[in-house]
Amino acid sequence: MQQSLKRQSGVQDAVVSLRDGKVDITPKEDGTIDPSQLLKATYDSGVTVAEMDMTATGHVIHLPSGELALRVEPNRTFAITPNDLSKQLEPLVDSSTTVTVRGQLYTKAAGKIKGPRPALKIVILEIQGKS
Amino acid sequence: MQLRKLAFVVLLGGLFASGAQAQIKHVEMRVEGMT
Repeated sequence: MQQSLKRQSGVQDAVVSLRDGKVDITPKEDGTIDPSQLLKATYDSGVTVAEMDMTATGHVIHLPSGELALRVEPNRTFAITPNDLSKQLEPLVDSSTTVTVRGQLYTKAAGKIKGPRPALKIVILEIQGKS
Repeated sequence: MQLRKLAFVVLLGGLFASGAQAQIKHVEMRVEGMT
């Protein structure tokens, strides 16, 4: 799995801890990392992902659907699941302010999902900074 | 005139720096079924 993850676009390094079942992935600075590809590569290695978290810096925007979203370069957007923390990001919509957040992108569903995997949405767990 | 050019360069630099910072910094997964 570690080798498979390291081969993914935009991955600088991947460290697997067998002891606590944790995988740490360091992205390259080219911004081409794709969390949904990492998820797929992990499942293709025969390992189940229970949870995926991400720390990212980006701009807060509104999607055409009206949903709040985090835009990171180059042009990758994650819809934000509304919660108390996401309300704090509302005033920053379409501003030049960049925010650094830690959020949950994926948790394993209780049942088996049929059909294509839905697009990853971020649940904000922590707002680490604004600049 | 020189001052205007300098201000323009600083503004452009700031915009590029801001864009470059807007990235995924770290990804962490908790996995099951690893042997």
